[in-house]
Parts: sequence; structure tokens; C-alpha cells
Amino acid sequence: MATTKELIEQYIENRKKIVEMDPKAIEKRHAAGQLTARERVEYFFDPGTTTEIGLFVKHRTRNFGMDKKVIPSEGVITAYGKVNGRHVVAISEDYTAMAGTFGEYHGKKFVRAIDFAKANGWPIVGMNDSGGARLQEGMDTLEAYGWLFRSQILASGIVPQIAMLMGPCLGGQAYHPIMQDFLIQCKKTGFMGIAGPAFVKTQTGEEITLEELSSWRAHAVKSGQTHVVAEDDKDAIDRCKALLDFLPSNNKEKPPRLSTKDDPDRAIPELNTVIPDKATQAYDMYKVIRLVVDDGYFYELMKDYARNSIIGFARLGGRTIGIVSNNTQWAGGVIDINAADKMSRFIRFCDLFNIPLISLTDCPAYLIGSQQDWGGILRHGAKLLYAWADATVPLISVIMRKSYAGAHYGMLDKSIGADLVFAWPTARITIVGAETAASVIFAKEIKDAADPKATREKRIQEYADLYENPYHSAERGYTDEIIMPSDTRKMLNRALDILENKDRDIINSKIEYIKKHDRKYSNINL
Amino acid sequence: MAQEKIESPLPGKILSVKVKAGDKVAEGDELFSIEAMKMENPIICPVAGTVGDISAAVGQSVKSGDILAVIEY
Repeated sequence: MATTKELIEQYIENRKKIVEMDPKAIEKRHAAGQLTARERVEYFFDPGTTTEIGLFVKHRTRNFGMDKKVIPSEGVITAYGKVNGRHVVAISEDYTAMAGTFGEYHGKKFVRAIDFAKANGWPIVGMNDSGGARLQEGMDTLEAYGWLFRSQILASGIVPQIAMLMGPCLGGQAYHPIMQDFLIQCKKTGFMGIAGPAFVKTQTGEEITLEELSSWRAHAVKSGQTHVVAEDDKDAIDRCKALLDFLPSNNKEKPPRLSTKDDPDRAIPELNTVIPDKATQAYDMYKVIRLVVDDGYFYELMKDYARNSIIGFARLGGRTIGIVSNNTQWAGGVIDINAADKMSRFIRFCDLFNIPLISLTDCPAYLIGSQQDWGGILRHGAKLLYAWADATVPLISVIMRKSYAGAHYGMLDKSIGADLVFAWPTARITIVGAETAASVIFAKEIKDAADPKATREKRIQEYADLYENPYHSAERGYTDEIIMPSDTRKMLNRALDILENKDRDIINSKIEYIKKHDRKYSNINL
Repeated sequence: MAQEKIESPLPGKILSVKVKAGDKVAEGDELFSIEAMKMENPIICPVAGTVGDISAAVGQSVKSGDILAVIEY
């Protein structure tokens, strides 16, 4: 029988064997500009707060010489700790341990960490770096993927989930980061896709490099699946922590409210001159956002995808807000299929996690034409309507210039669910532009007129004077108030003050509504 | 030498071409203006470089994804 002293010494030795890495392997990673899996976890958590769980977990495969294969920590480190004082669970794959391949017990560690995070109400952060499925384990690997997907889906909407693509994540495994709320991708080392280039070539004949097929450009610019691009591991972790600072730990909490020296009533005279005289001219919406929010700090998401739309987090009076807006410098700020998808999922995230939403609107329309119609702009555009109508958080709309037709609801108006709608004197809130309206209503009169051009212009002016302004909407109360642009920050802060407890009342009535109608959820167009 | 293809982000009509082949351009420079959806839409240069082929002319109708010019950098 071993003595207690021997058992303790044995334990220390066993632990060391798992944790200690070959210095050459560490050096190799550092040379590639990457941290080790444990270094990432240590850098992520506040100093001295990291607690690892599942260190001794081990696979049980016997086939193909796996019985002799040692895989420290099963190729994935699961730990909890604090990020800027609040608990978070991290899952960090270790590429140096059998290429971080995903097998039965690797999967079990994922699931355990996710369920643990959900039970405690703590966010989940994944650091993906894996060679893919551990094929030696056959069905045990395949089933483990399913456990992971199911457990993260069941945690979705309960705790925030953020993925960091720090290494490869190719194959079905890529559904894991994709189904999380936000995805941060490292520029040089993060690769994601349903299949890598070799598999693509053998199955389809297509020849393409890993860089072109699966890098940040593929997903931050083309596919719209990456929210944030990072230079390297540390940059990704820094950006992840900044993102977490905006979020509550779970869906029962409100986001932390920070103290700010930025006066909530601060006047912004520059906004009185930002809208060009010519309605067809573009201007810088980012400048407007930065002028309005606390300390000019805007955390943008998906900035290189569907650039006609803008989404991201900021603070007003120290409260986290989600901003949804249009970039008039890119396709006129029109809502197309991609912009609708981008904005809708963001709105739903904010609603799930008690983050008030503010729309800064200057949007000419949903984009029209065969390409959009055949691509399904109606069903994609409908996601925005569902997202707004289903939302329970404070919803505030500021109409700066154009708010026409379908885009009027798409960008949030009173009829679809806004609590408060403000309009600038430069707003044009109407069913359709004056030119289109006049040419439809007065088609016959214009055709028959002695001077069709003059008649047409007269009728356009008439329609514009009557309807293409903020007053028509304000007279009916669809717009709550026409405000000086310079007062935008003040009005938004006051609106957030009065809507502080809105979500609770609405959620209660929503629960009543669901009980009354026995509804599971709305059938959003997907 | 890398190439950046400048694509039209929406269907419309070319209102103006602000550069010619061989011009040096900076990131943020306006290359074209396209009229569509009640807007004059500036097409902004995404990289600093030299204008290569220009394949769009004033008055021409373009679709989303049509290549308007190539920037070499």
C-alpha cells in the first residue's frame, strides 16, 4: 500500500506529465505566431482565476494502435475563470495533442463544459484549433459531434457563446463555431469550412487553395459567417474580452452598466449639418454613430459583409445598446438579402440578451430586381420584420432621412413594434418617393397634359410637400417627436431611462400570450 | 502584384467615372458613381494602388457583381 505522501507525489507527477509540453513543440508554436492551448486560456482569464476541469479525461479506443496513444487532456482544455471580474467558461483545443482531433471523450469534454456554463449562467468561449474528426473512433466520434451540437443549441439564448477560430476547423466540426453567437477569426491561422481543399478536389474536381477557400476573407467578406477579424491569438482574445464586456452573463441578467463621464445630454451641433442638401448624396454614417454614443466607442460586427448595413454594440449613458443602421456610402444603404440576414440575427441576439436596440435609419428601400427576387429577398427581408415584431427589449428608432415603403418597417417603425420613434427635420417618411408616386397617381393627367414635363414636376412637388417629410407621420403620431439632430443623444438617453423596465413587462405579457395560444415560437422565414 | 476587382454592389446606371487607367489611387478614393435606388452611390476604392483596366463607361447599365475596374497593388 502506498503512503499518503507517495499518493500525493504520484498525483503531482501524473499532473505534470499531462500539463508539461515538449519545449520544442512550444517553440514551434511561438515561431508560427501562435500560443499554446493553455497559454491562450491563461491570457484569456484574469490572472490567478483559471480553474481547469477534466484534465485527466482519456479516450478508450483500442483499435489502430490507439491503445498506446497518449493524448494529453484529450486534446482539449476546459476551464472556468473570470474575465474582467465575471465568470466565463473556456474550451481550448490543443493542436499539439494528436492535432486536437475530435473524438468521443474530446466531445464529452466540450459537452460537459457547455452544460456546466449553462447551469451556472456563464458565457461560453471556444478556441478552435483542431485537425478535425478522429476517424479511428468511428461512430463514437460521429455521435460525439451530435452531442456537442445538441448541447450548444440547447444553451443558445441562455448564455452568450463566442467562437475564436485560431487554427483549422474544417468539416462538420465547423458547425460548432457557426452555431455560436459570434465568431472571431484569426487572419493568418484561422480556417473554417465544410471541407478542406483536398476533399473538395477529390469530390468535385475544384482546385482551390486553403487560403482562398477557408480564410478570413472567405468568411468575413464573402460568406458573412465571421463577425470579427483578428491579427493573431492575443488580438482575438482582446477583442473577445471587449465583446464580453458589452454582454450580460446570461439571459436572466441585464448587461453591466458602466459609469461614463460622457454627459448623457451632450448636444452634438455637427449633426445639424451632416445630411447633404441633395437627397441622392451619401454621407458618413459611422461618424454619426461615433458622435452619438458614449466616448465615440463603437464595436462593429461584420463590417466587411453587406456593407450597406451597419450593426454593432456601443453604450449610451453606460448602458449597452445594439445599433442597427444603413451605410449610405455603400449601395445607398439599401436592404438586400445579405443585409437583411446580417441585421436580423443581430436583432434577435440583442433581444435574447436584454440589450436595447436603436435603429439609425436612412434607407431608400429593400433592393429590387431579378437577382434579389430570385434570391428570395422577400423571405430574407421578412426575417427583419419577424425580428422586430418578436422583440421584447426597448426599441427606439431615429429616422434621419429616408424611410420608404418596406424599409420603413425593416428598419423599425411604430407599426412593427418600436416603443419610440424620433425623426430629424430632414426625414422623408412616406410610402414611396414623390417621383414614383406622382407618376403612378397622375399618369393619365401627365400623358394628356399640354406640357407633360411641367405637369409631372408640379405633381411631384405637390406629393413631396404633402407626404415626403416627417410631419405627415408625426401628425398621426406614428412618429413620436421631430427632434433637432443635435439633441439625438439626449433624446435616446431619456428614452432608455423611461424604457428601463420595459422588457420585464413585455416578457410577462409574452409568456401570457404564449400560454394563451399554446404557441412554441413564431415561424420565422429561414 | 496583387489585383483587387472592383465589383458593382448593386444594379444601376454608371453616372460618372472618376479615374482613368494608370491613375494612382488611395484607399477611400471615389472611383465611380452609380445611380440606383434613388441614390448616387459612390464606389470607393478599397486599397491603395494603380488603376488597371476600366470596364465601365458613363451611361452603361450594370448588374450586382459586374466588374467595373481592376486595381493593381
